[in-house]
Amino acid sequence: MTDFNSVYVVAGLLVVLSILASRVSARIGMPLLPLFLFIGMMAGEEGVLGIHFDDYSRAYVIGQLALAMILLDGGLQTRMSTFRVGLKPALSLATLGVFITSGLVGVVAMWVFDLSLLQGLLVGAIVGSTDAAAVFSMLNGQGIKLNERVGATLEIESGTNDPMAIFLTLILSQMLVGQVSGVFETVMLFVEQFGWGLAFGLGGGWCIGRLLKWLDLASGLYALLTMALGLTLFALTNMVNGSGFLAIYLMGLMVGNVRGQHIEHILPVHDGMAWLSLIALFLVLGMLVTPSQVLDYLWPSLLVSASLVLVARPIAVMLSLKPFFGFRWKELIFISWVGLRGAVPIVLAILPVISGVEESDIYFNVAFVVVLMSLIVQGMSLAPMARWMKVVVPPSASPSRRRTMGVLHENDYEMLMYHVDNRGVEKIPLRYLRFPSGTSLAAVFRDHEMIYPKGSTELEKHDLVCAIGRSGDVAALNRMFDGEARLKVARDFYGAFIIDGNAPMLELAQAYGLTLSAGEKDKLLGEFIARRVGGNPVVGDDVDWHGIHWVVHEVQGNQVLKVGLRLQ
Amino acid sequence: MKLDQLLPPERTLFDVQGGSKKRVLEFFSTFIAQNIPSLDDQEVFSRLIGRERLGSTGVGNGVAIPHARNPHCKSPLASFIRLADPIDFDAIDNEPVDLVFVLLVPEEAEDTHLTLLGQIAELLNDSENRSRLRHATSQRELHDTLTDLIQQQHQ
Repeated sequence: MTDFNSVYVVAGLLVVLSILASRVSARIGMPLLPLFLFIGMMAGEEGVLGIHFDDYSRAYVIGQLALAMILLDGGLQTRMSTFRVGLKPALSLATLGVFITSGLVGVVAMWVFDLSLLQGLLVGAIVGSTDAAAVFSMLNGQGIKLNERVGATLEIESGTNDPMAIFLTLILSQMLVGQVSGVFETVMLFVEQFGWGLAFGLGGGWCIGRLLKWLDLASGLYALLTMALGLTLFALTNMVNGSGFLAIYLMGLMVGNVRGQHIEHILPVHDGMAWLSLIALFLVLGMLVTPSQVLDYLWPSLLVSASLVLVARPIAVMLSLKPFFGFRWKELIFISWVGLRGAVPIVLAILPVISGVEESDIYFNVAFVVVLMSLIVQGMSLAPMARWMKVVVPPSASPSRRRTMGVLHENDYEMLMYHVDNRGVEKIPLRYLRFPSGTSLAAVFRDHEMIYPKGSTELEKHDLVCAIGRSGDVAALNRMFDGEARLKVARDFYGAFIIDGNAPMLELAQAYGLTLSAGEKDKLLGEFIARRVGGNPVVGDDVDWHGIHWVVHEVQGNQVLKVGLRLQ
Repeated sequence: MKLDQLLPPERTLFDVQGGSKKRVLEFFSTFIAQNIPSLDDQEVFSRLIGRERLGSTGVGNGVAIPHARNPHCKSPLASFIRLADPIDFDAIDNEPVDLVFVLLVPEEAEDTHLTLLGQIAELLNDSENRSRLRHATSQRELHDTLTDLIQQQHQ
């Protein structure tokens, strides 16, 4: 009995330590994931606790489970509306991009470690996939918001390229132990993996999404049911030789995009589950690694790592994006730089070990160094890089807290909390404020006390107000309580003057003395700008024309609704 | 071209009764046509209102910067109006407007137009500057404050 308890104590304390460390890391801007790895290493055989853990197959099982959970959460968090600008580039990166990255890194690894071509390519495949969760947790921590085109591309890429990297690793490992031989067999395996992955993911996801919306459960059970169904789907897909990872990611996507109140019970729990999986995964990997062995491979691994970051990824990004999509150079450079490697490569590196590939030490240790370097060097330079490459947009105003009320099944009422920071609504009796119709102010909180809002009540700065409205009213309410400071930031970014997207170019030309070509004369400003930026405009896109920066301020689908005029 | 040269004391207007966006622009058009005989009040008004149709020039924080080109305008000219009571201007933050900076430029001077406009926007982007303009207690003080702020901006 005591044996079990000591395991629980150690495991519990390690997780506690990791969670507490996240506070410290947020404060000093240090990436979290290497910290978890470090704590794992400290607990491991050459660390303070000296726990001897080298059970690769158990680590692999834990790794698979954790990855599945992380991908499920990734799918749940991805909004399908971002597909408009992100899907095609992301798919190009997830397929072509992974091939190119893996191939180039493979050749370098072959040369550095004096391996066979197949062995080299295996190294490349292992480090082929990216991790956007690491990117977004870090950017959010520093209050940075990427423009939609770049953000969506990175997010969808990282969800979809794991199955590709996993497939390549699987195939190459099997080739190395001589299980797969012919080209035909390889192609069949590819078709099986992705075919079943797609079918199970989309089909299962559709059904599960419906089921969850239809069921009336205790609020805590929705997330559990999602998790259980996800795991089942993951395992079933694997059993028929499909890609379980692709299936569970797609399932998350399908479930997360069904509107309804159940989503609100699912998301926070799965966010927590993803964190737990990440922590568990990195702790285990930290314990699994033998630091002295890593040191043996350190310098060559650093070379591989540098070739990935500085050569392979940029080339892959350029070749998969530049010819097909309207990205600017700065966006391409940024996407190249943030190809962060996360948990997947280290888990994949276990695969050769347990499938009995010779000299399997190499893979695990190289992957370890590559991931660590990527997380530290690229991770820490993310925010400055984003600003430097101008892929950042000012954060939009949002309620400080938001909860649906559970009154209606469709288009439900929500409780929206705001900190008042707008001179326009301060010191004015409430009855004179123009609330959007259909909304109401439920309560005002000041100095820890609730004030019942009456027509004569006047708001003050730093009051906390609670409004009731539907999601359609949020934009108007945001504007109403929006901070003055935020307005200034927005004006610096978009320019002071905001023009309607449906302003005729001819009238605009008259107002500002612009010369138009024949084709531009009967256009509207929104169409003109949308065409100039390549058809899929996102907020923050800008065009330099006639000495003015025309900055896209608001879009709806592919339509530009508002354009800012930034004068220099 | 410096901003303060476009703005003689008589074109700084203090405690004007606003009423509405249209009334303020009408008021300005009549005023400027009297001040500069070569300008036609109807034309000034229709050009200013035409620009407003493309998107309000209310830039937020109670500031509006109506502007237009005008064929009868020989060199850029500006006018600053402080309203007695804030009026609705369809500004981007929906706040009522009480500080109105109007700019008229000749048809040919495009670059000057943009530079001046940028300077005015920058001047009124600063909350300290806006507050000083709001606290001026007389027409004379308002004009002095404004020229003072413009000169500070140039340094």
